[in-house]
Amino acid sequence: MTQEGNLDNNPDISLEDLIKLKQYSLTDDEKNKILLKIIKKQLVHAKNNNRHISNFFEKQNIDIGSITSIDDVPPLPIQMFKYFDLATCPKDQIVKILKSSGTTTNLPSKVPLNKNTTLNQVKALNSILSDYIGKKRRIFLVIDHEGINDPTLELSARTAGVRGLSIYSKKIHYLLKEENGKLILNLPVINELLDGYEDEEVYVFGFTYIIWSTFYEQIIKKNIRFKFKDVKIFHSGGWKKLVEQQVSKEFFSKEIAKIFGTDMKNVYDFYGMAEQNGIIFVDCEYANKHIPNFSQVIVRDIQTLKPCKINEPGIIEVMSILSDSYYSQAILTEDIGYLIGIDDCACGRKGRYFRFKSRVERAEIRGCGDTFREK
Amino acid sequence: MIKCYLLDGKFQENTYDDFTTISESVNANRKKIYHLKLDVIIELLTKLGRKIITDGTINTVEGVGYITLWLRKDNLKKICRLNYLDQTYYEDFKETESKFELCAQPRGIVCHWVASNVPTLSFFSLIQSILSKNGSIVKAPEENIDIILTILKHLNEIEVEHDGMTYSGKDIVSSVSIVSFDGGNFTDSKNFSQVADCKIIWGGAEAISSVTALPQKEHCEIISFGPKYSFGVFDREFIESNYFEKALANTATDIAIFNQMACSSPQVLFFEKSRYSIQEIAQKMKSYFEELPEKYLKQYIPQGTASNIINIRGMYLLEDDKGILKSDDLSWTILIDSELRLEEPVQGKCIFIKEIDDIDDVLDLITRKIQAMTVCIINPDKRREFAKNATYRGVDRIVVPGKIHDFDLPWDGILPLNRLVRWVILKNGIGSE
Repeated sequence: MTQEGNLDNNPDISLEDLIKLKQYSLTDDEKNKILLKIIKKQLVHAKNNNRHISNFFEKQNIDIGSITSIDDVPPLPIQMFKYFDLATCPKDQIVKILKSSGTTTNLPSKVPLNKNTTLNQVKALNSILSDYIGKKRRIFLVIDHEGINDPTLELSARTAGVRGLSIYSKKIHYLLKEENGKLILNLPVINELLDGYEDEEVYVFGFTYIIWSTFYEQIIKKNIRFKFKDVKIFHSGGWKKLVEQQVSKEFFSKEIAKIFGTDMKNVYDFYGMAEQNGIIFVDCEYANKHIPNFSQVIVRDIQTLKPCKINEPGIIEVMSILSDSYYSQAILTEDIGYLIGIDDCACGRKGRYFRFKSRVERAEIRGCGDTFREK
Repeated sequence: MIKCYLLDGKFQENTYDDFTTISESVNANRKKIYHLKLDVIIELLTKLGRKIITDGTINTVEGVGYITLWLRKDNLKKICRLNYLDQTYYEDFKETESKFELCAQPRGIVCHWVASNVPTLSFFSLIQSILSKNGSIVKAPEENIDIILTILKHLNEIEVEHDGMTYSGKDIVSSVSIVSFDGGNFTDSKNFSQVADCKIIWGGAEAISSVTALPQKEHCEIISFGPKYSFGVFDREFIESNYFEKALANTATDIAIFNQMACSSPQVLFFEKSRYSIQEIAQKMKSYFEELPEKYLKQYIPQGTASNIINIRGMYLLEDDKGILKSDDLSWTILIDSELRLEEPVQGKCIFIKEIDDIDDVLDLITRKIQAMTVCIINPDKRREFAKNATYRGVDRIVVPGKIHDFDLPWDGILPLNRLVRWVILKNGIGSE
């Protein structure tokens, strides 16, 4: 799949094919060609099935048939999931509305999912994870408390990670518990793991800040070290608080790897969002985030909205072909990142690779110009 | 820690733990500016205006060209007349209709808290205390400090002849100190407040209320500018007149100057129903945005503002009954709807335009937070009546497109020079009658 000619002879590569194909095996050009064809069809479907999406195209005079590059697919600002019903399938087909608690407003994002989209997301995540942990199910250790996986809760970055990654688990253990509103070590579970799990293959997930500020701090005090046959540690979430504490990513990975008796290359930071469920962008051993076959990332200049060059920071746009129940094809996030390169990461994965930099700074109306509202 | 960039006429960066040294120096040197005649100060400032426009390092900064215009001798004299009624009150005691003589005396040290949204704001704040012969300590935003320092360096080198004597701008500059410190540091803020005989505050609601609440001398005068909001209104007759196109072009410039971040920047435009639909008006507005000079068209947009523009564009693109015209990049955005309300400022040349049945409908939207309104009404009597109603409700300035940012005194409903002096009297007669 690395020769362009092969692709030209295979114009009907489907989403299913892209999920089954070894992830990160397509070059950027190959992928763009395949995705553009699929996305254009999906855009027509989205436009025909949601009046807001129809407005979105009409008001911008965008003729879907004339789109010749994935850069020209109009991205929808991620905040719109808070304000609009963006379902692109009949209401009776929606099996679940994913609600994600926001960090910038109190309104949750609402992501409508039908059976097909849900299934695609599960398969997609499976396919991504298999590249990092193999195809066998493992014991899943969650560095959080059990209540975080309460299905009645709205999705937060923490719950999304736990629920998403649990698809590979054969058994889940929660390493923390909640007591009087505080997170503390779940010692009965930890003791069980310390005794008799040496031959098990496990994978771990936790929210970056909780791993550091709660789990690591307490586990160091108790001098606990785990031992497993193989362990892969995934973590996600903001670095802002850790940066404030002058904890670098490298130091974090080294320290956490020590706790689990493994090498720091088995500690994976990933980036993802509820609005693009099923897709996570996992760090490789060179700390670059890679993009799976069924997705693409465009970093857009914050002044011009044009795609940025390598190393130029801009807003991260995440494209996905997983959904036919809402507009997932191009979502403009509120995160800043930058492309590191294309097709040439030393880890061998093809396609674009990027890094997350920060959340978009919130606007402050500064100075003597202000709101019209009287307090 | 206080960073001081100018003290005792020396442009050197020093740090201080408190304001003792700074305030003592400014207080001692303010005698020099006090002994300058107002006419001399005006001549020095006029010469300064002519000088800074030739300085390539700052004359491209937004608002610097306007400083030159503002510093014209006739403008400065007019401002003093309007604020002091009679400039000679500042030279000596002068007879009045009452049984006393009247004189204006400076308040002492004026401490300035300057917001960062307008690059030249430090200068316009400072000029008021110079024209009232006060000493000044200016807390300038770090990003704009170079501009005010450059202007003051020019003033430091200026000399004028007056009545056979030579006067130097150094006598003004030595009465000024430029500082910066973390506004969140309560001790520094409190110390700054406590050396003030007058506080001039430019900022949003939070800044104004926190600076106002700081401990201060009992006699301290507080002059607050902001937080304010501005918008525009056009009546049918005006829209259908020959003046309309020019007014729209000027409005586009008003929006572009300071990238819509000033308190005088229009955020919403209301158009009375006319033979042009609101969509046609939006198309006209679009063409005037596109014709803006490059320096206005491609202004830097902070990340947060860019994000707000992206989101409001998204809302208007998805919503059924709203319209939008926009540039491919984030340069300008026209948001069209018919809801009779003011909108939260987005900034970055993001203008809301709305069609209304009657211009008087907007009167109910006016509060004391409205600083300026461009009022485009052809009939002078109707315009005057509208102005009376609008200003009664709270607007401070009724202006025309193209003039909304003119720094007229009064500003925000205040004649600042008048409040920057103490009005003192001298009763005549050796014994009482």
